[in-house]
Amino acid sequence: MNENRFASAFLVPSGLWLLLLFVVPLGFLLAISFGYTDDLGEAIYGWNPENYSRVFDADLLPVLVRSVGFALATVVLCLLIGYPVAYYIAIFGGRWKNVLLALVVLPFFVNYLVRTYAWIAMLGDDGLANGVLGGDIRFLNTPYAVIGGLVYGFLAFMILPIYASLDRMDPSLIEAGKDLYGGPWQTFRNVTWPHTMQGVLAGSVLVFLPAVGDFVSASLLGGPDEVMVGNLIQQQFQASDNWPFGAALTVVMMAFLMIWMVLYLRSAAREARGPA
Amino acid sequence: MKRNPNRRELLRGGAGLAVGLGLAGCGAGNSSSGTKEQTEKLIKKKIDGDLVYFNYAEYIDPALVKKFEKLHGIKVRESYFDSMSAMMAKLRAGIAYDLIFPSGEYVQRLISGNLLRKIDRDKLKNVDAVYPQFADPWYDKNSEHTTPYGMYATGLGYRADKVEMTGSWRDLGEVDTEDRSFLLDDFQEGIGMANLVNGYPLNETDEAKLEKSQQYLVDLKPNLRGISTDTITNMTSGNAWIQHLWNGDIVNIRNQVDNPEDFKFQKNTEGIPVGSDNFAIPVNSKHPGTALVFMEFMLDPENAAQNVEWIGYPMPYDGGPTEAFQGLVKDDPEINVTVDDLENGQQFENLKGDGRLAWDKVWTEFRVS
Amino acid sequence: MSVDVAPPAAASRPAAEPARRKPPKAFDRPRFLRVFTGLFFVVLFAPIGLVILFSFNSSRSLQDFQGFSLRWYEQFFQSESLRDSLIASIQIALVTMVVATVLGTMLAYGLVRARTRWSSAANVMMLVPLVTPEIVAGASALLLFTQVGLELSITTIVLAHITFSISYVTVVVRARLSALGREVEDASMDLGATRWETFRLVTLPALWPAVIAAGLLVFALSFDDFVLSFFTTGESPQPLPVRIWTQIRFGVRPTINAIGTFMLVVSTLSIGLALLLPRLFGRRESGLKVLLGREGA
Repeated sequence: MNENRFASAFLVPSGLWLLLLFVVPLGFLLAISFGYTDDLGEAIYGWNPENYSRVFDADLLPVLVRSVGFALATVVLCLLIGYPVAYYIAIFGGRWKNVLLALVVLPFFVNYLVRTYAWIAMLGDDGLANGVLGGDIRFLNTPYAVIGGLVYGFLAFMILPIYASLDRMDPSLIEAGKDLYGGPWQTFRNVTWPHTMQGVLAGSVLVFLPAVGDFVSASLLGGPDEVMVGNLIQQQFQASDNWPFGAALTVVMMAFLMIWMVLYLRSAAREARGPA
Repeated sequence: MKRNPNRRELLRGGAGLAVGLGLAGCGAGNSSSGTKEQTEKLIKKKIDGDLVYFNYAEYIDPALVKKFEKLHGIKVRESYFDSMSAMMAKLRAGIAYDLIFPSGEYVQRLISGNLLRKIDRDKLKNVDAVYPQFADPWYDKNSEHTTPYGMYATGLGYRADKVEMTGSWRDLGEVDTEDRSFLLDDFQEGIGMANLVNGYPLNETDEAKLEKSQQYLVDLKPNLRGISTDTITNMTSGNAWIQHLWNGDIVNIRNQVDNPEDFKFQKNTEGIPVGSDNFAIPVNSKHPGTALVFMEFMLDPENAAQNVEWIGYPMPYDGGPTEAFQGLVKDDPEINVTVDDLENGQQFENLKGDGRLAWDKVWTEFRVS
Repeated sequence: MSVDVAPPAAASRPAAEPARRKPPKAFDRPRFLRVFTGLFFVVLFAPIGLVILFSFNSSRSLQDFQGFSLRWYEQFFQSESLRDSLIASIQIALVTMVVATVLGTMLAYGLVRARTRWSSAANVMMLVPLVTPEIVAGASALLLFTQVGLELSITTIVLAHITFSISYVTVVVRARLSALGREVEDASMDLGATRWETFRLVTLPALWPAVIAAGLLVFALSFDDFVLSFFTTGESPQPLPVRIWTQIRFGVRPTINAIGTFMLVVSTLSIGLALLLPRLFGRRESGLKVLLGREGA
């Protein structure tokens, strides 16, 4: 059997699954985005392109820009914090590698809301931090708190992929690089970093995309100006009973994000084709 | 700046559209609406299985639930929602709940869709202790399908030790809280408040008037520290000195702090939104008899009193529950919802199609402004 | 990749030598990294410390500690429905982890190694779940299940979770797969192994760290998921996060802290056991590695 046929067979099960259980439902959603709501708030199929004109009419652009901005900030911070940690665990973890990895994920056993409440207890105006520092610093209901919340929630999504790229990287590669390039920084830049590029890209995608659509952080930790696309969408589905408008918002947001994803796909494809 | 969709995406989109257009006019949910006969079928008030209970979380005393389970040897299977929208989504999906708790507005919707069973009030003891304002409410003629569970009023919670209030809705934004003022993140409560401040009825839908309300909210924004549903945490953490919230929230806050006397509730002169969450039995309920027995159990004055003390909200029935709540809030009777409040207060009603859309637009534009 | 330069040098260095040599400068970095990683874990677990503290709070508050009490643990252990919810969440997360990891790894292999006319469609389709906000994924899953007539239950939750998780696995696994050259696989087949044997004995073990990492990620994602779960759950038991998040309206109780602490204790003990047990029975290697079938550090 030639390689293509063999590998293509692997596409079938997951491909079918995603097609039936994700693409088809999204088709329903696309249909609803053109629908109405009746007097009782139920969504009805129909032909109502007004939902889309509403999406483009309103001053929604700043919200999208803000969401993307917050998500990008989250990615950068997760990278700055997560890369060293992943590096340490993969290269220096030794016997404790698996334990450390488990520790990264362990906090998820405590629900995210409960952990956020603990942060609020620490950073609230009457909380621990202000008590200890004796100060009157406003940590919460700021954009920084929102980004902090996002970073805290998504760090593991950056650490694990980078670790997966780094683990059991041939140490002699680094030694050879050292011989070739001299300093540790050059070695890192020319040997280690390119080796982990795909892992970094993977982590970035897994942090960026969900972060754009996030509404929890902004809702619990943000101020009145910290409205993200996710909040708007949530409002339509969970409060206003306006699924058609919510669906239209989502379609536009997804189309916008897919543009960015073309870059990711190009890079991944280039990598898969092998060394230049 | 949309990327040109590739052929596969177009095909997929097209398929979705075709499905949609073919279904034009159909409802997106599963049509689990009943017929009139189904809603009128008599329910025998006896245990006919486990109770499938669907309500807000932390809104019933678990001790009472256990007591009911022991008394009748059945299980109460609880599940929770966090908004009326969410409740409707699950209901439309066809899940057979026995007991749900819609607000007045949603009761009206459910009745018009033939989705609620009729209940025989003669069979329920203590149901006539209900306040007269709820005996024949606007949303349920002759109370044929529902009876109230909890009752609430919306106002401003505040730190009596930090701020001086004047009794008006405008205190939110005008009283200096060193930027510790929060608006409730609820489009009805927000727009409703703005309407009241401007002297309009709570449910105003006139475009020009709504624009003024929207402007009021937009002007309010710079004075707000946050727009949030996490009202209890905001106050207990000290982040909020004035918080737009429901009266029961203050009761719950006072239970958690060292200095409950500093946390007070203000009902405002421009108007008080009031309302109720109501017992209701959906038409596809599998154990309506148990549901009726449970309703009667919860309306028993002793049980209702115990429940009131646990949930922190009043139940609009004379006797046990009313006294219990009065006792609960004797340090700050403002928290109570009196008969006067019910007479003068206003409830959120169903806005017809265009009205709902208008409110949705106002709130969205306010939030992104 | 500039690695072409490295292999000849590496090949000329036998494995035993490095242990005798002074560790090269690059590996002297550890002190900074160790401190950084330590700090990271401190900050990561700081709120956890508070969570544990408040689980013993005598009052309902999650902001003010007012005294020591076991009442929330009592409530948790006495509540059958909370136990049911916890067990449901664990079951859902485990099944999701296994199935999504398998499907996601297969998809990653197919996307990286195959070149067919379906490849770009598959690539786009793989990304769509990542680009979709969870609320929308939940709402559309609900629509699908109702139109198809599938009754909502734990099964529907699992189906939805798996669907949403596959892409996470694929992204992680393909990152490592594309960094692995084809050379070793080609060599294996030159030596007479079939494609399937090559995949099983060469590719898969090489991918293992990515598969594990992805599995952990999926488990965490599923166990802590609220939005998707709410839309696709039947009536009880609702998974734990649904119960927790719906409590915001009337106030979250420290019972949740008790559950979280309980879970932490259980998982810490499990990890500890997995490490210690083999040592008690005389094995020198870490038990986890034995369990996971990996060789070497």
